[in-house]
Amino acid sequence: MIEIESLVAGYGQVPVLHDVSLKVAQGELVGLLGANNAGKSTLINCLSGTVRPRQGRIRFKGEDITNLAPHKIVDLGMIQVPEGRLVFPQMSIRDNLMLGGISARARKQRRQRLEQVLETFPRLQERLDQHAGTLSGGEQQMLAIGRGMMAGAEVLMLDEPSLGLSPLFVQYIFETIAKMHRMGLTILLVEQNSSLTFRHASRCYVLEQGRVAIDGPTEVVRNHPATRKAYLGM
Amino acid sequence: MKPEFFGILRSPVLWLALVFTAVLPLWLPSYYLHMATLALVYVGFAYAWNIVGGLTGQVSLAHSLFVGIGAMLASALLLRLGINMWVGMLIAALVSGMAGAVIAWVDYRFRLGHLSFALITLAFAEVGELVVLGWDFLGGASGLYLPKDQGNLQSFQFGGSSGYFWFLMLLAVLALGVNLAILNSPLGFFLRAIRGNEGAAQAVGVNVLRNKMLAMAISAVLCSLIGTAYARYLTFADPYLLASPNLTIEIVLLATIGGVSSAFGPLVGAGLLIPIGEMLRGHFGSMLPGLHYFIYGLLLVVVIIALPQGLAPAFSRLYRRFSN
Repeated sequence: MIEIESLVAGYGQVPVLHDVSLKVAQGELVGLLGANNAGKSTLINCLSGTVRPRQGRIRFKGEDITNLAPHKIVDLGMIQVPEGRLVFPQMSIRDNLMLGGISARARKQRRQRLEQVLETFPRLQERLDQHAGTLSGGEQQMLAIGRGMMAGAEVLMLDEPSLGLSPLFVQYIFETIAKMHRMGLTILLVEQNSSLTFRHASRCYVLEQGRVAIDGPTEVVRNHPATRKAYLGM
Repeated sequence: MKPEFFGILRSPVLWLALVFTAVLPLWLPSYYLHMATLALVYVGFAYAWNIVGGLTGQVSLAHSLFVGIGAMLASALLLRLGINMWVGMLIAALVSGMAGAVIAWVDYRFRLGHLSFALITLAFAEVGELVVLGWDFLGGASGLYLPKDQGNLQSFQFGGSSGYFWFLMLLAVLALGVNLAILNSPLGFFLRAIRGNEGAAQAVGVNVLRNKMLAMAISAVLCSLIGTAYARYLTFADPYLLASPNLTIEIVLLATIGGVSSAFGPLVGAGLLIPIGEMLRGHFGSMLPGLHYFIYGLLLVVVIIALPQGLAPAFSRLYRRFSN
């Protein structure tokens, strides 16, 4: 479904990604792990079109989307849930969710999807007319994921959904991600929380200094000596 | 368009205020009518700026460029090439709209932050002033004197202060209407999203470039139209007044003091502060050099400290308290 070939990207003169290749098949939940500054967010930003790669190709369902504008990528059904939630703080929760469904492909089913989102996250239902800025971190994460669901995503790219959340919320968010995956959604999960990623992903990639250091089925990656050393302290 | 927009249009308060303003020339002495005309000019400018500064949340300091294009280019087309000023006004508006779109593109292309955007737009305004001052076609440093008004509407002459008042009122109402229409339309929804968080807006599929370009172009066109009418009212296209970046600072100040988050902020800001400034000049201007500026500045500082959200939200809170 997603194919990345020899991607090179960076900011200004600073190179971040070096020759990165990655594949995500339809219906898969793929984990992308790595320490801070490994290039995980840059990779996901290249996929969503907010960072333009210098070299390499990105294909979505066989179509080249390497230099496509972000809103066109959303129109295709590749939705990013950015790091740090990034909700619209001065807008109501309802408006935040409605904004998730503005693409041409999502507009017709906005009402149905809103019901689905509120069913998945009942806490949002109680606060629909409240400003998003007044929500707790965990609730904002629910809102950000809900916004992604509103877009009728075919692929959901989650950038560090556990960042800054209490363990209880992290558990809840990951259960929701697993549920969405069971419903057939393709998910690319960018995380630092390796244990939860290993529990849910079928395959994983580990980025180190902008390069894919390890990749393969979760079991292989989990038991790889370098992963054990870097993430499990063994 | 949201139903709230039509709700505002149906509001009797709005229509009463419009009728009250429209009859002002019938009884107001000429000095006060001039003051009211100036207030309308700045209400229009503040509303035009508010589309970028308030709705999109970008502090643009380029707006004197658009006013300057409207004033100087339309006047130059009339005086140098004999082009009717109505046509000149439209040509200038088109040029301003394109200039606005280019500035928005530069902002998007180079991912300018808030401070860089303000500085780049200020640089555009400075360049605009330098071009006007250095190019004789646009009047150079001495500006352009327009022909005496003979009341010929076809030649963009409105036959005296009442005519100019009504025409400028029409433009100010147009600017207000455009603001309200944008606020209650999908464009307003997207601009609020961009103001709230540009990265998140992009992530949900908002076409940031198109919406920013549209907002800047609409804002520039409105400024340009009012700039042309203002120059014709003054019968002198003065580059030091109409193309100077100081004008932008004034516009930003009026909109901010009125309240950028409020639909009626620019109206309250310009509608109150322009007459107050003029009255202070009238009463204190001859007492001590600069005294009226000092008092005006002091007043602004007090308002900014006491009411950081602006005057309109404060009036709205007061209104709610009394109506409860």
